[in-house]
Amino acid sequence: MPPQQPPPQDPITSRSLAGIMLIAALLLIAVLGWSLYNEEFGLRPWRAYQARFSHVYSRYLEKRLAERRTAEVSLRNRPEYKKLEAAVEAVSEKVLPEDEKIEQQIQLATAQRAAMLHTFQTVRSYVGALTYDYEEVPNTPAYRSEKQSKFRAMQKAREQKHVVNWPVAPGKYVQRSFDYVQLNNEFNVLLDDKAEFLAERGKVDAPVKAAQDKLTAYVHKTLPGLNVAQLEGLLAKARSLTFEVHQIYVYPPGSFLNYLGGGSLVDRCQTCHMGMDPNLVPAQVKLTKANLGLAKSHNAPFTTHPEPILLKLHPINKFGCSTCHGGNGWGLDSVRIAHGRNAHWPSPLYYPSNIEAGCQNCHAADAWTPYAQVLNRGRYLFRVKGCMGCHKYSGFDNQKEQLTDAEHLIEDLDREKTANVEEARELNHEGDNAATNAEAEHFYGEATDLTVENAKIDTHLTVLESKARDLFEEFKTVGPDLKEARLKLRKDWIPYWIAQTHQFDPDAQMPQFKLEPYQVKAISAFIWQDALKGPPVPTQPRGNVARGKKLFMERGCLACHSIDIGNQRIGGDFADNLSRVGEKDKYDYMVRFIHDPQLRSEPYDPFLHKDLSPADYKKAGLPFIFDAQHSTFEGHQIEWEDPTVMPSFRLSWQDARDIASFLETQRTGMKYPSVSYMNDPKLFAQGKAWVEFYGCAGCHEIAGLENQGRIGTELTHEGSKPLSRLDFGFMLTKSEEGILPDGKKAKHGSWHNLRGFIEQKLRNPEVYDVDRYRPNPEGRLHMPTPVLSHSDLEALTTFLLGSIDDATLPPYYIYKPKGEAAAIQKGWWIVAEYNCMGCHQIAVGQKSVLQTLPMYQGPNSVNLPPVLTFEGARVQPQWLKKFLANPALSTTDTNRDGVRRYLKVRMPTFFFTRDQIRTLVSFFDAMSSQPLQYIPPKLKPLTPQETQIARAIFTSPAAPCLKCHMTGVAVHDKHASAPNLLLAKERLRPAWTLQWITNPAAMAPGTAMPSGLFRRENGRWVFNGPLPPIAKNYKGDMAKLLVRYLFEMTPAEQQKLLSRTPSASGT
Amino acid sequence: MLGNWHQLWVIISNPDNVPVVALIVLVPFFTWYALRQAKANDRLIAKLEADPELARTHHRKTQPYHPSWQKEVHVWPYLLRIELLAAIIVTVVLLVWALTINAPLEQPANAAITMNPAKAPWYFLGLQEMLEYFDPWIAGVLMPTFIVLGLMAIPFIDANPLGNGYYTYKQRRFAIWTFLAGFEGIWLVLTLIGTFIRGPGFMWFWPTETWDPDRVEFIATRNLDQMFGVNGKWLVHILPASQKPYADLWAKGLFGIIPVGLYFLVAGWLFYKIITSTPFSRKIFRRMSLLQVVVMEILLIVMLSMPLTFFMRNLFRIKYVWETPWFNL
Repeated sequence: MPPQQPPPQDPITSRSLAGIMLIAALLLIAVLGWSLYNEEFGLRPWRAYQARFSHVYSRYLEKRLAERRTAEVSLRNRPEYKKLEAAVEAVSEKVLPEDEKIEQQIQLATAQRAAMLHTFQTVRSYVGALTYDYEEVPNTPAYRSEKQSKFRAMQKAREQKHVVNWPVAPGKYVQRSFDYVQLNNEFNVLLDDKAEFLAERGKVDAPVKAAQDKLTAYVHKTLPGLNVAQLEGLLAKARSLTFEVHQIYVYPPGSFLNYLGGGSLVDRCQTCHMGMDPNLVPAQVKLTKANLGLAKSHNAPFTTHPEPILLKLHPINKFGCSTCHGGNGWGLDSVRIAHGRNAHWPSPLYYPSNIEAGCQNCHAADAWTPYAQVLNRGRYLFRVKGCMGCHKYSGFDNQKEQLTDAEHLIEDLDREKTANVEEARELNHEGDNAATNAEAEHFYGEATDLTVENAKIDTHLTVLESKARDLFEEFKTVGPDLKEARLKLRKDWIPYWIAQTHQFDPDAQMPQFKLEPYQVKAISAFIWQDALKGPPVPTQPRGNVARGKKLFMERGCLACHSIDIGNQRIGGDFADNLSRVGEKDKYDYMVRFIHDPQLRSEPYDPFLHKDLSPADYKKAGLPFIFDAQHSTFEGHQIEWEDPTVMPSFRLSWQDARDIASFLETQRTGMKYPSVSYMNDPKLFAQGKAWVEFYGCAGCHEIAGLENQGRIGTELTHEGSKPLSRLDFGFMLTKSEEGILPDGKKAKHGSWHNLRGFIEQKLRNPEVYDVDRYRPNPEGRLHMPTPVLSHSDLEALTTFLLGSIDDATLPPYYIYKPKGEAAAIQKGWWIVAEYNCMGCHQIAVGQKSVLQTLPMYQGPNSVNLPPVLTFEGARVQPQWLKKFLANPALSTTDTNRDGVRRYLKVRMPTFFFTRDQIRTLVSFFDAMSSQPLQYIPPKLKPLTPQETQIARAIFTSPAAPCLKCHMTGVAVHDKHASAPNLLLAKERLRPAWTLQWITNPAAMAPGTAMPSGLFRRENGRWVFNGPLPPIAKNYKGDMAKLLVRYLFEMTPAEQQKLLSRTPSASGT
Repeated sequence: MLGNWHQLWVIISNPDNVPVVALIVLVPFFTWYALRQAKANDRLIAKLEADPELARTHHRKTQPYHPSWQKEVHVWPYLLRIELLAAIIVTVVLLVWALTINAPLEQPANAAITMNPAKAPWYFLGLQEMLEYFDPWIAGVLMPTFIVLGLMAIPFIDANPLGNGYYTYKQRRFAIWTFLAGFEGIWLVLTLIGTFIRGPGFMWFWPTETWDPDRVEFIATRNLDQMFGVNGKWLVHILPASQKPYADLWAKGLFGIIPVGLYFLVAGWLFYKIITSTPFSRKIFRRMSLLQVVVMEILLIVMLSMPLTFFMRNLFRIKYVWETPWFNL
């Protein structure tokens, strides 16, 4: 047996836990300390920002204050200031005695009122209570004695006298006694007295105030900005900043406090971005990193908004910040969370390069948004790069959808009509069998109403049918009509283009498809065999290349097309680069196309689903003619025109031949391989399948595939796709780790977001199919590569990123304009579709393509097409309608411009439908803030004397109008550089004309029209040149006189004037 | 693809998973710690029982103690000071946890965009994992009911009078092993699988395997009757005319009774063998009423069905053994 061990000590009672307890207690205290610190700073990182802001902002304000003080001191020393100050003092002194007298009276009245106030209030409430007691007792015999006793009590209180220590002069009192009524009267009299005295003092002080106002105005004018007092106020605020969350809370319209339905906006961005808080930093203060002394800091979110105009349009207290910028408006835990960059946040802050995506959130229905140049570029690219050919996007190219809607509506109305006829018949029948006359009349009356209703439907139908016709004609394709391929294109060029689109033209609008050689062959063969084989395009003799080049450069082709490549490249990117067009197009076709782009070889009948050949017309017994006047075939609408947006420049056949001859020289010496397979009928079906697979018919018109829809996903709400819905494929891990598709390393997670996804996809659509097993092209992606520059890539990304599901936004933020603004919004879609901005400046701040071309720089800018920022105010809508329909303003002499015949560049004919013209006219009116209905004002006819004065001004050697303005006389017009004034009456609006002749430079900087022709004198315009004796005594407004004269101009009058204007004869 | 250590770190460091990660450390530690104390007590008990002198003074149902220890101690201060200490330490731990890790909130809820994988909170992950193996109403209703009622029933089916109020292994071997198997062997393992193994689409990803939401998985499971080709071809001849169209269902339903019944018999017999394996356990068994034995058997059999189904599904790709129009097992 082992030796007995001493029993161990009791483990419970003998062990002291003091040590552990102490450590635990100390730990608890430490952790409590930590949590207090965390409560104050750790959980509130914005406190550090606020402390820093308080520091830097005070420093900034101190500097500003010192500057301002010095400035104000030097201002006070200026003689003007001293003079004004002395004036204030002088007036003040003058009114002082009277002022003091009034003041004494006011003081006495105030003292008297104070003396009686207590007594008056007590008595009034006592009497009031007794009166109520009396009134409350019912007025019946049973209560008579009680009522009488109450009445007595009331009367007693009313008659009781009260003694008041009444002041009569400062320090002097008398005893006065009042009863209730007297107290009441005296009190009201005192109130009236005081008001009277105050009014009197105001009157007496008026000159002082006027002098002071003058002084203040002078200070404001010479030293604008915040004054010392204001700055001091701001400084005090900045120094004593208390730490608090600065929050914008927007209740949904019509809701109350504590709105529980959600949808309200809570933005706490200003908690760190304190420069954005208008209470702290008023609009006059501009904070930048530099002026805060934080130029080098990467963590200084204190600047004011760089685009104040945007804040003016979107008041910060109504829109907050996250509505435009994204991010998590509530978040304050960390920069990452506040900016919504944490995982799963549905709307992370937009990156600076895509900042305008925020505009698209609410302005998705706009075709053009002011101040959003990147976004506008994105929209433009979505159109011209043909994205909209495959991807539906609400608003883009929606004529087909609108047409379907209109057709459905027509069907509905037709059905309603038939039903009405049937019902009317039944009602008449019931009327015939009615028991009484009155009943019968009731039935007949209802039947008549239905007939009238049908007549109304008929008028509606007429409008709808005409709209449907318009929509049918408005439909344009993104790419050229491939039915004409055989007549238009060189055969060997087709496969080369399809395979190496961007080698042929690096700026090509058509995206680069990734095709196997056998696919290229099949597609080329299909297009060739599928195209129309006739009737042949008329052969044309060759033209003059040099003249063609001149015309090409001058007429305005460069607004859309570009020519030459590399550094030499000039022109717009709305349409193709033409530097190799000679390798592509056949000469005869080019001539026809330039002469009139609407011409096509055979019309297409969507009802019969076929192109109508001469044989079809012959069978129908019709001549083979199809144009605007012959736009139907056997009763149905046909597509009689080429669906291109290219307008007609109304060039003569000779001009067209010259330009085509020039374009034919635009070629390299490249040899194309033989393409005999293109006639192989076996490839036809295969090629057709590929053409359908790649959705070519989304952009091109292709025989047999006219009804193929868009093959891509709709992108209207692409920006709302959550991260979890993006298929990064085998790029997933790489995107999370920040490894770019090209293998380069970027920041962790830097492109694992929607922006990165879109950008990489646009760079290479197949990027997310890397490593996937796709042996056959059938299994591969349909989407071609758009081939974009970096900035264009960002613009398109911005556009798509901003294309969010508007259901995620409170509806009141979405821009749904009404009236004039809606007219503007609608008009921009046409302006964008037809690239009006290639030639014209339409919005302030926007530049046309032509404005950027070298040949229109400096003094040559007078050769530019007119700026249209004021077009709606300038011209009359009726005239504008006429002009847009036919810019030549003539049906016979079309090879000219209707207004500015002196310009080389020409307004082309766009073949707008009536609906489009209406939209455009309303657009221009609304853009110039003109009412949408125009009624021309009546101008007073000129008296003979006035005519003479006007004539004298008109022909004055100081400003001979006809020196520049056209007259229609060929010799004279050779040197003219302004429109014919004979047009004024019909074309211009008098109000604009007056504004224009008095200050043209303000409306169109750089215009050749001289400014300063008139000077303002006693509220009227006076001619600023030598006046004829007859005008010396003219008291009227001379500019208005000239306007009235212009609006009475006749050809005979103009001829007379021409002879009187020596410098206008062209010498 | 294995080797995605970054992802493993993301899962481990996810604030949602803190309790589960803590479990991995804490559960083994406390198991070891408790067993150590149990072993010490067991040694003490052995010593007490070996010495007839001591055995007389010590009642067997109280905490074993040395002669020099006090037989009873006061609640204050001896119990309360320990409880206070525990309270302080837990407070410190919870405070530090709250200070260092924020609530893992995500985006505003959107029924149209659900998360993938969509996981239950950590304490329900075991339950969610069970849903992979049983019909929702079995895994979601029946089993949880059994667990709750079974836990409540323990004091009433426990016929062992020993080992109350102190740690002991020898006196409660069966109870301890049942706990270890049921809680640590099944429930914890299911929770860990739910946390670390289940990725997007609730697919099985080994640790460090990339959670690819686009992974394509081939899992063909079949029911036991399909393996045996049960289709009711023979049953058609026996069934009354009205039931003939349902021969297939009848056959499957009837067939399923066989394996399930067999399982109940075999498992019941197995548990009977276990609870009567030693003289001590036989003594306890004799103390139990029939009702106690039946309830305990049912609870144990149901508990064992979980790991069994797990292995059947994952090793043999068997989905159900008993298919009826109302439930599948």
